[in-house]
Amino acid sequence: MYKGIGGSAGIGIGKVMLIVEQSLDFTPKTVSDTDAELQRYRNAVSKFCQNTEQQAEQLKESAGEKEAEIIMGHILMIQDPYMNSEIENSIKGGSCAEQALTDICNMFITVFSSADDELTQQRATDVKDIKNAVLSILLGIEEQNISDAPKGTIIVAKDLTPSMTAGINKDNVVGIITEVGGKTSHSAILARALEIPAVLSVQNITSLLKDGDTVIVDGSDGIAIANPGEDEILNYSEKRNAYLKEKAELAKFIGKATATKDGNSVELVGNIGTPEDANKVLECDGEGIGLFRTEFLFMDRDKTPTEEEQFETYKKVALIMKDKPVIIRTLDVGGDKDIPYLGLSKEDNPFMGFRAVRYCLKNIDLYRTQLRALLRASAYGEIKIMIPLVVDVEELRSVKAIIKELMAELDGESIKYNKDIQVGVMIETPAASLIADILAKEADFFSIGTNDLTGYTMCVDRGNADVAYLYSPFQPAVLRSIKHIIECANRENIMVGMCGEAAADPMLIPLLISFGLNEFSVSATSVLATRKEISKWSKEDADKVASAVMEMDSVAEITTYLQSI
Amino acid sequence: MVSQKVTLTNGQGFHMRPAGVFANAMGKFSSDVTIKFNGSDINGKSLMNIIAACIKCGSEVEICCDGADENEALKTAVELIESGLGE
Repeated sequence: MYKGIGGSAGIGIGKVMLIVEQSLDFTPKTVSDTDAELQRYRNAVSKFCQNTEQQAEQLKESAGEKEAEIIMGHILMIQDPYMNSEIENSIKGGSCAEQALTDICNMFITVFSSADDELTQQRATDVKDIKNAVLSILLGIEEQNISDAPKGTIIVAKDLTPSMTAGINKDNVVGIITEVGGKTSHSAILARALEIPAVLSVQNITSLLKDGDTVIVDGSDGIAIANPGEDEILNYSEKRNAYLKEKAELAKFIGKATATKDGNSVELVGNIGTPEDANKVLECDGEGIGLFRTEFLFMDRDKTPTEEEQFETYKKVALIMKDKPVIIRTLDVGGDKDIPYLGLSKEDNPFMGFRAVRYCLKNIDLYRTQLRALLRASAYGEIKIMIPLVVDVEELRSVKAIIKELMAELDGESIKYNKDIQVGVMIETPAASLIADILAKEADFFSIGTNDLTGYTMCVDRGNADVAYLYSPFQPAVLRSIKHIIECANRENIMVGMCGEAAADPMLIPLLISFGLNEFSVSATSVLATRKEISKWSKEDADKVASAVMEMDSVAEITTYLQSI
Repeated sequence: MVSQKVTLTNGQGFHMRPAGVFANAMGKFSSDVTIKFNGSDINGKSLMNIIAACIKCGSEVEICCDGADENEALKTAVELIESGLGE
């Protein structure tokens, strides 16, 4: 079994077609007839543009408009007035076309790959692709033709060039394995668009496999299995069918509103840990962000991030999400999340100690910086502020008082912000649950954090194998708590969401619908499945299930019942 | 020469597609188009230079146009950026 990165989900079983990389080495020489050399270069470029246009046409058919545009971008790049004049000037100076092209392309490859931004770094691959394609033309090298690959082919290559991808017949190619590339590389994007399972970044795979070998490509788990046994083939064939069935089911929910069977709309949003994740939520059709954890901004560094740095990050997410809601949780340090430079001392019981809003209210400068950055960013989108680990309404009041001060400060400096920004609390402790009626009068929204709520309610560390059996959101104690929180929020007409993975649990969803949850915040990959689950339930049916469950007295009885329906 | 400051609002900033849309549109004018960002001058007609500058969403840039059709070029540039560069 070979491990790599899952670049495109799904399972393919087939026979290897090995793509041999051809050498693009050349001997640099000085050219005396520079006019002829210039013409040779221009001919190669126009051949390249012609090929690329043709490939774009093919891709438009097989993968769609957007993917065709990616490689049409290569024409724009090679025809770029700056790049073109640099190459031509170098040829006029006596360089051969191969050398001139290589020099200028390498310069851009260096510049792009040293950028501190992933998208710009990826453009280095485009330049590399262009360079290799034009070099092949100049050197008269023909690329291996994969357009006539037989049915059930697994393409194995060092890397997939755009021209290769364009030639792929998606009815015949059932899998792709490469030695380089990541989830966001063009090969991965194209494989996903072609809906071909792909495993990327498998070391030395082109020397480990040979033409005709049978291989299983599991793009969901990022593994490839060479020469599998009959059992494995059977097992993966079943997996493949299940995957395809589920995918077809979920595809029906793309672009649909999230609503119950009887038409009650709820919000379906995503949990994220970095601004880039917001793009994933959009790709998966999420309707906003229900939880943006800000800890990443503070981790892996030796001092706190500046207001400017935080502002840029929050603003970025707001702009990515446009007018969709973005709930940003303020720093949730402590417990199991240690950030060394913040100087938290060792405690006997960190989960019950100095953490989250407790730490922030004692380190007011740090908290003011974060809240000011959040306020400033609120001018660019629908940002809402969420306070973690609230156990006392005074904590909410203190944070709101700081926000009020900061608003006056920003007014004085004529800095824009959203004057009606919502401030809500995360309900994740038994205390917050028990005073949910009090909190609901002063908070603009609730978000139930099921992981901590379950842990604190049951008094269980789920990492401890001896007690983990008690950890379940289906414990009557936890369900009663969740029901109570939602009812308190509904009574005061404030939004109540859930941002733990439990919100995507098919067994919990009918209960949440019955209790009256307004917002489900799940990981990007669970968005469509959650939408599908929600659509299965009418309020009436969900109420029946919920009233039966709330009469039951043990987690075993409850889960057995929920599994049976 | 005419110039105007403008903030990038499209989600991805000046990347492949948006930069292509911009450079392509600017190429149609005879005026020189320069994007001033972070203290450097970027050729507004060169997709490659725009990408290399790594101008992210939310950044403020200054567009300078110089030449016979500078007013029209500037107007087009600003409108393009404000409308989200075709995203």
